[in-house]
Amino acid sequence: MINILTRAIMMSTPLLLGALAEVFAERTGMMICAIEGIFLMGAWGGFVGTYLTGSMAVGLLLAVALGMTMAALYAFVTVTLGQQQVVTGTAMNILAVGLCTYFQRVLFGVPTTPLQINTLPNIEIPLLSKIPVIGEIFFCQNILTYFAYLLIPVAIFVLYKTALGLAIRSCGENPVAVDVAGLSVNKIRFLTVLTAGGIGGLAGSFYTVGYLGMFSSNVIGGRGWIAFAICFLGNWSPKGAILGTVAFGLADALSIYFRTGSTIVPTELIIALPYILTILLTIFRSNFNVPAKLGIPYKKES
Amino acid sequence: MAVPVVELQHVTKCFAKVVANKDVSLSVNEGEVVALLGENGAGKSTIMKILYGLYGLDEGKILIRGKEVTVKNPADAMAQGIAMIQQHFSLVPTHTATENIILGNVHGFIPLKDYTEKLEKIAAEYGFEVPMDKPVGELAVGQQQKIEILKALYINTNVLIMDEPTAVLTPQESDNLMTFIKDFTAKGNSVIFITHKMKEVMAVADRIVVMRNGVVVDEVRRESTSEQELARLMIGQEIVPPERTEEAISENEVLTLENVSLKEKHNAKALQHVSFAIHEGEIFGIAGVSGNGQDDLCDVICGLKKPTEGRILLRGEDVTNSSIRSRNGRGIGYVPVDRYRDAMVMDMNLAENVLLKRCFDKNWFNKGFIRRKMLNEYTNRLIEKHRVKANDYADMAGGLSGGNQQKVVLGREVDLAGNLLVLNQPTRGLDMGAVDRIHHVIMEEKKNKKAVLLISTELTEIFEMCDRIAVMHDGEIMGIYRNGELTTQEIGLLMAGVSLDGEAKGE
Amino acid sequence: MKTKNNVLLYNIAAVLVGLVISALLLLFMKVNPLSVCGQAFSKIVTDGYNLGEILVKATPLIFTSLAFAFTYNANLFNIGAQGQFTMGAIIAVALSLGLQSVLPTVILLIVVLIGSFAGGAVVGGLIGGAKAKFGANEFLVSMMSTYVITNFMDYLLRTSLQETKAEYMQTDAISSSAYLPNIIPGTRVHFGFIIAVAAAVGVWVLLNKTNLGFQIRAVGKNRFAAQLAGISTGRIYIISFMIAGGLAGMAGLTEINGVQHMLLRDFNASIGSYGIGIAILANGNPLGCIFASILFGFLNVMGTTMGRLPGLNIPASIIELIEGIVMICVIISYAVRGNVENKKKKALMRKAGV
Repeated sequence: MINILTRAIMMSTPLLLGALAEVFAERTGMMICAIEGIFLMGAWGGFVGTYLTGSMAVGLLLAVALGMTMAALYAFVTVTLGQQQVVTGTAMNILAVGLCTYFQRVLFGVPTTPLQINTLPNIEIPLLSKIPVIGEIFFCQNILTYFAYLLIPVAIFVLYKTALGLAIRSCGENPVAVDVAGLSVNKIRFLTVLTAGGIGGLAGSFYTVGYLGMFSSNVIGGRGWIAFAICFLGNWSPKGAILGTVAFGLADALSIYFRTGSTIVPTELIIALPYILTILLTIFRSNFNVPAKLGIPYKKES
Repeated sequence: MAVPVVELQHVTKCFAKVVANKDVSLSVNEGEVVALLGENGAGKSTIMKILYGLYGLDEGKILIRGKEVTVKNPADAMAQGIAMIQQHFSLVPTHTATENIILGNVHGFIPLKDYTEKLEKIAAEYGFEVPMDKPVGELAVGQQQKIEILKALYINTNVLIMDEPTAVLTPQESDNLMTFIKDFTAKGNSVIFITHKMKEVMAVADRIVVMRNGVVVDEVRRESTSEQELARLMIGQEIVPPERTEEAISENEVLTLENVSLKEKHNAKALQHVSFAIHEGEIFGIAGVSGNGQDDLCDVICGLKKPTEGRILLRGEDVTNSSIRSRNGRGIGYVPVDRYRDAMVMDMNLAENVLLKRCFDKNWFNKGFIRRKMLNEYTNRLIEKHRVKANDYADMAGGLSGGNQQKVVLGREVDLAGNLLVLNQPTRGLDMGAVDRIHHVIMEEKKNKKAVLLISTELTEIFEMCDRIAVMHDGEIMGIYRNGELTTQEIGLLMAGVSLDGEAKGE
Repeated sequence: MKTKNNVLLYNIAAVLVGLVISALLLLFMKVNPLSVCGQAFSKIVTDGYNLGEILVKATPLIFTSLAFAFTYNANLFNIGAQGQFTMGAIIAVALSLGLQSVLPTVILLIVVLIGSFAGGAVVGGLIGGAKAKFGANEFLVSMMSTYVITNFMDYLLRTSLQETKAEYMQTDAISSSAYLPNIIPGTRVHFGFIIAVAAAVGVWVLLNKTNLGFQIRAVGKNRFAAQLAGISTGRIYIISFMIAGGLAGMAGLTEINGVQHMLLRDFNASIGSYGIGIAILANGNPLGCIFASILFGFLNVMGTTMGRLPGLNIPASIIELIEGIVMICVIISYAVRGNVENKKKKALMRKAGV
């Protein structure tokens, strides 16, 4: 049981990072539909950086850099040029698959044995990790998980208590008001998407550097979209994102558990469960806090 | 002579569809109220948005206290002490007043309480009573305007631009606003006041700049002009209002509302016990400040919303629960207030826009296929009949000017309205030529024995067109009167929710 | 008319720019892009089989791009063509396996055609229904539905639909009596291509000539005005999604009965997202979808051919790279065209005005 929960927390890490990134972006009115591709580039960047230099720090930095590069291209097309977000995201997700598999080949040719890297070690937090049960579940995790813990209060503070957060929240509700107040809507949106891209890249790197130790083009397998969905389910708030993430992390961990153990429940159903849950919640939730101008580009004059 | 606080020299601004400003020059002195007077589309808002940095200019320059400056964005303008209140308020409805006011002018951590206290002090100086910690979306428009003003006061503005500030106010609220403007300018500040109402100009302005079709046509001092002269300058020609024939109202009721109420989630008093009847050949006017239930009234009549109480009868038949489609089929024509949103599909051509309201009429289809030829010919006739400035049926609706779009909508609805024509502010934002044409069409329909419901916020239009007038306030009919029974003063009181025997209603 | 030609011109330019950028990326493999592309190109055009492959690859893409384009006209985002296709494929293979010994070929194929359409349509209808009845975000629901259906397929492949040998997660092959007939000898081009083209033309007629199509477009361009005209937007949402889902489902027929002749894991796992890109390339025009699909089919074959060039080691995934770049170039070209036209109009206004 403790094992499952530890695993749930671990598997939640990238989802939480991605969901928080998405919450911030969507509060400015920007859906990051390229999140799947950003995750993938992050996963690849983390892998390549670590493999080539032997340093995980370089790997994580490269993951952030590639995530931000993808986000920059996405923001250029959707914010600066004002094009459709869904469509641009789709194109970029395909592009990401092409980019990382192509450059994987460029760098490594066709290796005879699968390329491996070491994964991030679990760090036991002194004292806290000694607390029975809780210590094992929460405080024997890797550095990305701790970063995610840290990001939660920071995200809440920035979004609700600072001038930046006020501007971000206003951009998604009434960009005209932001413009009239002397702030640049597109600048806020661009920079938020860029930052979110960096966090998204880091989230993606979890799957290679933090967990699998290898890379393949289907390593993300739709989890970027799950982060996207969690943002919706969490009603566009950081706190909601946490709740949503825990549920998904749990399901993810369960499905892996059931796949290895013998079971009467079809594993496919458990794997599909988070998706079914997303659909049901999308359909049946009543109070929506959706930013009024979500997905709508801001243009000043015609 | 003192250097003007603000001076615009030879400013030209083009959009893809229109030349908005052509060689516009104007100046504002310290402590002065300058009115920018002109019809809708004369370019008043554009020139002020240029000054405020929302639009870039193509030619010309801006001088502040004699020095040339570039105003690239509102932040630049605010740094020069200029603030602008947009016609459609730029508030974030889900945020509190405090959050709205400090947006863009704070850094780092926000101790919200401190700011709220600070703002309450500023508000008290001008006698504004505004709840600072409620979402502004829940406040009345009058209060929202005060928040907009507080935004300007918060950043120590000395040149305040107000775009059509009275459009949403009752006559009494407008008076309060005029008092504020006088207080504000008495402290050495300046105000630029954009409007199309001559009365306000005469009440508050020191100097009046009249604009027409993007150019400044004249500049006059208030003392040396009159409303008549201003009207002539604004319009550029004399307009003859259509003649209203005084005759007995028919006995045949076309539309009857019996005790109709509408309760909504966010507004429990959307409509309150509304009862009236409109007869054959009658133009029934609804006066009132916009947002007092007029739109909901249209929605329940055309079938978009079901009333929570009461009955709606069309020629004696109960249509309370029938669908929009069936009401359209029974001869209700409807010109909604927001043409862009509700009446036209801007990315479709005129023929398809005409077809829109007929897509359940089998005559226009052959086994499900559109009868294009018939439709195109019909559309061409409609264009000709209503003097729409368009090439032919294939023109895109979005390519037409507002006035011509409205003529197409009205033309379409008139042909569909066998019984009743519902018009929600049909002339809002249109040029005088189009207004004139539309008024003539309405009179024509009156002669054709149709019942007309005319909702308007312009009292002149109400007095000019209607046989009977109802005044709406807060979803309630304050009274129904024959045209001529009410003075402007009385109608103003009714619009503010004060019944004529003196007591306030609905508060 | 003039603006339409302009769109085409910009599209072609964008595709070319995208191809050039992709070719330049080949430099990273330390190969000469010109010679590689030249070799691959000549391999394709000199070989009838390869030329045929272009149409084979294009066939399902026409369906999935139509599935996106159709709802796009109603201003809805159907991101779930992949799932709708999978459902169509499941039904196609199940019906074929179950009825191939009972029904004659023509009738069997008609039954499978209807079945695969219905399978996709039911999935689409549910998504449209969720949108119409509950105001659910159709984008999210359709996207998630794909994952659910893929898992459903995996489950079936492990259980009731698994091959008799029970070795791999795949079905038995269908008998040749259930194959879609070949239409060009010496290639794999099958009758499904004709069905696809007919479907695209049919969709174009439906959208532009009929009352239903008019109502769909009206809802798509301004649902408020459509509603006031008495059109039930919910009904249009459901119908649009059903038709779109059905179109994607029909790709199940063409891929099972025309190409693969069995269902297996990860079957055509990315034709859904390609469909979106193609529909955008075609600007939502059903007829454009035919040509854009053929272009993507060509790129696909080009990628595979390059991958097979001896001694170069170019990965087949170069396709994704090229297609991603081309799609982004096309999207950017829409913005560029908008800007250029806006500037032109403004310049004209200034000339006339000042």
